[in-house]
Amino acid sequence: MNEKIEIIIRPLAFILLATILCGIIFEIAGFSAILMFNSILDGAFLGSRSLEKSLRWALPLFITAVGVGISFRCGFFNIGAQGQFYMGSVCAVYVTEYMSGVNAVIVIPLGMIAGMTGGALWSLWPGYLKIRYGVDEVITTLMSNFIAGLILVYVTSGPLKDQSGSGQQASTKILPSELRISDASGVSLTIILITIGVGITGWLLVNRTSFGTLSSLAGRNPTMLKYQGGKIWQLGLASFIISGMLAGLSGSIELFGPSGRVVSGFLPTHGFTAILVALVASYAVIGTAFSALFFGGLFSAALFLPIFTGLPTSAIDLFNAIIALLITARITLGTNFLRNRWSHPHD
Amino acid sequence: MIEFHEFLVAILRSGTPLIYAALAGVIVHRSGVWHLGLEGIMIIGACVTIIGIVLTNSFIIAILSAIIICIIVSILQWFVIEKLKANQIIVGLGITGIGIGGTAFAVESIFGSLAAISAPFGIPRIGDTFGPYSGLSVLVFIMPFAVFSLWVLLLRSRFGLRLAAAGEHPFAARSVGANPSIMRLIAFCVGGLFCALAGAELAAGSLQIFAQNMVAGRGFMGFAAVIFGGGHPVGSAFAAMFFSIVSVVGIRMQIHFGNFVSHDLLLCLPYIATVLGIWITARAKGRTNSASQISELRVQ
Repeated sequence: MNEKIEIIIRPLAFILLATILCGIIFEIAGFSAILMFNSILDGAFLGSRSLEKSLRWALPLFITAVGVGISFRCGFFNIGAQGQFYMGSVCAVYVTEYMSGVNAVIVIPLGMIAGMTGGALWSLWPGYLKIRYGVDEVITTLMSNFIAGLILVYVTSGPLKDQSGSGQQASTKILPSELRISDASGVSLTIILITIGVGITGWLLVNRTSFGTLSSLAGRNPTMLKYQGGKIWQLGLASFIISGMLAGLSGSIELFGPSGRVVSGFLPTHGFTAILVALVASYAVIGTAFSALFFGGLFSAALFLPIFTGLPTSAIDLFNAIIALLITARITLGTNFLRNRWSHPHD
Repeated sequence: MIEFHEFLVAILRSGTPLIYAALAGVIVHRSGVWHLGLEGIMIIGACVTIIGIVLTNSFIIAILSAIIICIIVSILQWFVIEKLKANQIIVGLGITGIGIGGTAFAVESIFGSLAAISAPFGIPRIGDTFGPYSGLSVLVFIMPFAVFSLWVLLLRSRFGLRLAAAGEHPFAARSVGANPSIMRLIAFCVGGLFCALAGAELAAGSLQIFAQNMVAGRGFMGFAAVIFGGGHPVGSAFAAMFFSIVSVVGIRMQIHFGNFVSHDLLLCLPYIATVLGIWITARAKGRTNSASQISELRVQ
């Protein structure tokens, strides 16, 4: 089969399979699956203004997922996007705190640079441990997520706590309106331009530079690259830094844009969904845009599910998890399944 | 002396779920798969135990159904990794997501809200004859025997050696008539059993409560204990014990130094200890052995 068509059909087939599995689970649990998928479709893409609401979640997801894709492409399982996202927003909120009163034209770019730096530094230490000492990055990045989550709780309930808050959820003060780059809807020209900029830069980096070519070689066959004199540690460190930077950038956009403040434990599934977005797109930047839109739509539909169908919001988490379970499966549409019956795996 | 007893009780309470999780990780690790789904299967075990106690009022039925459901989810994980050839790390994360999302979904569709559920009673206690330790659950008491029997099973039995062969050199295992795929299936089933015990102990051991996302990384920590312990049951149990000592010391430090250092930063201690633990392993061994299929993710 044509390889390009397969790259598109495969994820669609798995998403369909996950949809069917989820439908069965929801029917067993006593909900109407058809009604649910109707309302997801309506809430995410077809209803009035629903595309705009989907974009609000899709834009930050896209930025993080491009970074995740770059690091996965290089063969490094940097699953710390969640922690890097948190650290980005924490660093950005510190900049706004210490530069209060300074012109917004200076504060916002500085805050974003701080966010990118924070995310990059937070992904740098697992990367350094991996490359220098061979410490497996899966565990260190997982642990870095938990540590970053606790640092976020500390910052929002300690030094930068909004004293006037209700006490329900610890958060920082809401930014003054001149520091915001969008209203609560989260879609504005600035954010869209930044996202497009990230997309174009990412696409050029992956497809038109030696870094892109070498890093995808490093992911496919590190041994060969090593014998040809490629420096895997440089590629690895660079991919860790880039993915951290992008996750941190989307953390700071979340602060300056839709949220306007940092809440403890906000968007807890952002990193996991971004990994999923990158996997569904098989790390291609253009594909990432579409899959980010899909998962962003799911996310925005999830907020309305309880109202329309009585289904809990966690239904979407379950759906996402089932997609994650299946997305890397390597049965290719029938033919290989038969062949596998006669061959022995793991030899 | 009383304070020492209290300290030990606290360590056993927080350490036992970790140790059971680490045991589940060990047996699967030796069969050649990275068990990153520990977190998800553990939370399913915790959830089913509490819901079972609330609905049936019987501890035996609750723990049995937890074990059965955990084994079913483990088989699902085995099927996707072994038969569908999916990447084991992503599948592990997917199982974790299914655990966290699925338990939230189950709780909300059964009880109608996401509030924590509390059960009227938990795992039977070991009784008053043990003095300061009487509040501990039976599973804490069984834990050393579980570690010992897993050690016998993995390192002193024909099955254990075949299992290790299936993990390290599948061809050799097949040449003596052991099917690596079936060996992994058995490993995942035993792992599911231990995950159910870990979840049950976490939820019903001392608290008798199930809250959203209550596992909070303990499954991943149990997995890190497997790496830190070098895949050896006793070593991994001690590694898990070390992580729980660190977290208990962190809680103690809140009492003594709570005014100087933030409570939330002290909660980071077990996670930092985990990173240090696998860093030490990597320095000692040259590097931690990465998952064997890491580059296969690209080949789609």
